[in-house]
This record gives sequence, C-alpha cells and structure tokens, in this order.
Amino acid sequence: MTITGEIRSSKRRSGPPRLKITSLEVLCGILVLALLLQSRLVDLLDVPKLRTASTVFVAICVQAMPFLVLGVLISGAIAAFVPASALRRLLPSKTALAVPVAGVAGVALPGCECASVPVARRLMQQGVAPAVALTFLLAAPAVNPIVLVATAVAFNDTPMMVVARFVGSLLTAMVMGWLWVRFGKMEWIAERALARLGDHDGTSRWAVFAESARHDLVDAGGFLVLGGLFAATFKTFVPVAWMQTLGGQVVLGVIVMAFLAVILALCSEADAFVAVAFSALPLLPRLVFLVVGPAVDVKLIALQAGAFGKSFAFRFAPATFVVAILCAVVTGVVLL
Amino acid sequence: MRRETQNILLILLGGALLKISFSGLYLRYVQKGLLPLLIAAGVIMVGLAVFAIVQDVRRGKAAAEDDHGHSHSSRSTWLMLLPVLAVFLISPPALGGDVVSSAADTNQTQRSRNLLGDLPSGEVIPLSMTEFVTRTAWDESGTLDGRRVKLTGFLTRADGGTFVARLAISCCAADARPLKVRLTGDVPSLPDEQWVEVTGKVVPKSANEKNSWVPSFTVESTTSVAQPVEPYES
Repeated sequence: MTITGEIRSSKRRSGPPRLKITSLEVLCGILVLALLLQSRLVDLLDVPKLRTASTVFVAICVQAMPFLVLGVLISGAIAAFVPASALRRLLPSKTALAVPVAGVAGVALPGCECASVPVARRLMQQGVAPAVALTFLLAAPAVNPIVLVATAVAFNDTPMMVVARFVGSLLTAMVMGWLWVRFGKMEWIAERALARLGDHDGTSRWAVFAESARHDLVDAGGFLVLGGLFAATFKTFVPVAWMQTLGGQVVLGVIVMAFLAVILALCSEADAFVAVAFSALPLLPRLVFLVVGPAVDVKLIALQAGAFGKSFAFRFAPATFVVAILCAVVTGVVLL
Repeated sequence: MRRETQNILLILLGGALLKISFSGLYLRYVQKGLLPLLIAAGVIMVGLAVFAIVQDVRRGKAAAEDDHGHSHSSRSTWLMLLPVLAVFLISPPALGGDVVSSAADTNQTQRSRNLLGDLPSGEVIPLSMTEFVTRTAWDESGTLDGRRVKLTGFLTRADGGTFVARLAISCCAADARPLKVRLTGDVPSLPDEQWVEVTGKVVPKSANEKNSWVPSFTVESTTSVAQPVEPYES
C-alpha cells in the first residue's frame, strides 16, 4: 500500500525539474523507513497466524527463486545463442504437429513452473508459434523427470499414479495447444511480451545473454512475489483439516482438490507429497490435484499476467483449469 | 523504474538469499538439499546486476538514461522488496504449533511398510518422528513395543491432550506436514512450542484409524532443548 502510494506521489512530484524524485530516492526512503520502524513491524507480526503466513511467504519466494533464475538463464541463452531459424528448423512446420513435440520437449526442463514462464515467452519472441510455446509452458513443470521421481517416491504404493500424472499433464498441455491453434488470438497477448529486446549488433552475445536474463528476472520477480503473497495467505487462512471429512464423495473431491491446487500454489516437485497426505480421498481427486497444480495456480497466474499481460492470463488460466480437470478425470478413469 | 533501482533491488534480493544460505536460516524455509541452488541463485542475481551496472558505467550515463526511456518494467518489480525486508528485518521463525493445529493429521501417510528395517539395538534408541509414527501406523509385528525410544519435537496441546509434534517438509515450508505423538504418563508441564527430547515407550496398538494414527507414548523423562538447527524433518 505505502509502496504504490509513494510511487504515485513520486510521479506527481517529478513534475518540477528542481525537485526530481526518482525510484532510486523512493527505494532509499522505503529502506530507511523500514529500518526505523523495524521493531514496530516485528511486534505487529507477532500473531501466530501472521507469523505462519510470513514464514510461508518467505519459504515460497526462497524456494522458487532458484528455479526462476534457472528459467531466465535458459531464456537468456535462447535469446543470445539460438537463432530463430534454428528453432524453426527444429520444430515441425505445421503448428498442430509441433504441439505434441513441444509437450514431449517439456521433459527436458528440470524445474518447476516458475522456470517455464520466461522460457515460453522467449520462445514466442524467437518466432515460435504461441500454441507451441504455451504447450511447452504447461508440459514442462509436470512431466520432467524430477517431478515424476518425486511422485513415484510419494506414491510408492500406487506406481500407476506416476503414469497417470504424466499422461494427464501431457494431455492437458497438448489440448490447450490445439485449442490455441483453433481459437487463440494474438491480440490477447500483450505487445510488450513479444517485443524483442535490443538488437545483437555491436554488443557481444554474452552481453545480450546477461541483459536478457536480467531483464526477465526483474520482470518476473515481482509477479513471483505477488503469487507467493497470495499462496501464503490462502495456505494460512483456508483451513484444510475439514478436507479429510469429504471421504468417498468423488465429484465433490475432484472439484475441491482442483481449487485447492490453484490456491496452494505448491511447487510441482513437492505437490505429490501433499497429495499423498489426503489419504481419506480416493486416487482420482488426488490425480486432479497433481494435474491442475503445475498447469494453473495463483503463483503461475501472477507470472503469466506479468509475462503475457492480463487479458491473456484471465482467458488462459480458466480454460487451462477446466481442460486440466477434464484430462485428469479421463486419464484417471482409464488408468487408475 | 530506473535501471539503477532495478539493479539495486536485484543485489538486495540476491544478498538476502546469500544471507539466509550462509547463516543457516534457510533451514527454516526450505529443505537442506536446496542450499547449492540457493547460493547459485543469489550469486547469479548479484552477478547480473553488477554486470549491468558496470556496462552502464562504461557506456556512460547517457546510454543508461536512454535505456530507461523504453524500459517499461511494471510497478510489480517493487514487490521484490518484500522478501528482502522480510528476511533482513523480520526474519520469520520456523513453523510451529499453529500449523499442527490447523493442518490435517498426516501420520499414516509417511512412506510405507516396506521401507522399515530392523530397529538398532541399544538401551535408548533415538528415532526421528517420521520413523516412529511410520512404525506405529504400519508395522503390525510390534517391533517398537517395549523398546525405550527418544523423540525430538515441540510441545503442543489440543483437545485436552499434550502432544509432541514435528513438521516434515519435502520442498519448502509451504508443504509442511505435521507428525504428532500423544503423550501419557509423566506428561511435561512445559509451555507450548517448547522443544523437548522425550524418552519413553510406545503404548502398543495405540495408533488406529479412529485417532488418525496418532500413537500414544508413555513418557519416562523429558529434557528441554533448544530448537534444532534443522527444525523440519524431510
């Protein structure tokens, strides 16, 4: 609150040339204020619920940052070292065929969802069809080996869960890709998302790499924090204990678990351990939790809104949510 | 936001990651295995920012200002300050009793039967809470019965009972799962959230479906201890 307030006031005051307040002065001001008010801030947060929320908030940020950094490094590397023509040669020219290729290529990105957003945006900037990049965006966090091994460890009594998760997530990603081919509109994606950053002329490739990575990090970092803020609030203030009483009601279980996956915003490497804990529920709702989580959650929606614009995120996220539930249910009914 | 401010924010955030990594405070938030990734992420953040600053200085002020002109980083970048302030000023504590009381009971979901080996021999066996509750929930042969066991956790009270509890995480504190053991016998009267080592024996067959597989434990002695460096089990 105070932050936006100060930005606004700094804008207003930046009018007269003599008293120029830039973001740099604002930052210093905030830091000094925070230092002065430190003890009062600590007192203010000394309520069990708020303490829990602040710990979970820091935990989500700390846990996700390395993966975001990995994502922006890959994104920077693509910008600097992979010419657009190479990508075009690598993928089938027909978009509908390139979609499944992108889905399977998701296996190669060993990270969670925070890493895949900057990579997907960079792929679009390099001329890859949006449908293909979006399929990669959805597939990568769910089908990579680290996530599958974690799922296998968590569900070591039901190995079919791993297969079902792989198939369900891949299916979700490909269906969304094909839906984009059919219905997607370029104008939903914010222009800035597709604008290419600077030209290669004059600067070395390493400078392009560093600048692209830095730019993506600054761009996405704030949205990651926003997502962490939402997730920590939900996690702390939405009581989860009553979920155990849902028992055998499968339909209700599916719906509740799908929403829970969205608001908890767990890292896809950890969600299997949480899903296995809902032991009162049958396997199907828990599979829905595992398929929806990496495809759409509050942290991811925030990151997508930052990378591709709000009008994209508010269409893409609900569509993905529905598609992911359907794909998970179909896969679960067939495989489990 | 100006490039300079962005770079300072990056240095602050990277510095915050490095601070919790080297001070060991990261164990309050994430699992031990993440340490190398945290350090790498912190170093890369600081490195990218320093590289940009050096480039800007070399190119001269004019180029930097020009860049600022068409860099439309949104206001959201300011939010990166929040984790920095949280880490440096507030330094949130490890999760405790609040999570145990609000989360679902998850005792029975720990691993499964086939991972259990033989108990080590000895007068008092130190066991992790994970292993203890797993054995009480899954092991029907009763290997724990009659054995003297030492558990480490914090005290928490609910429904008229006193429990020793510990949280297990697999990635970060957001996925913490509580492990609980109900205390009977010489129940300590220490305050909630106090970390203790309790020595005693399991009440045979006390974990069942009705009590969400929370076993009972007959306490023989209790020692208060400081919070372990690794507050969570994994």
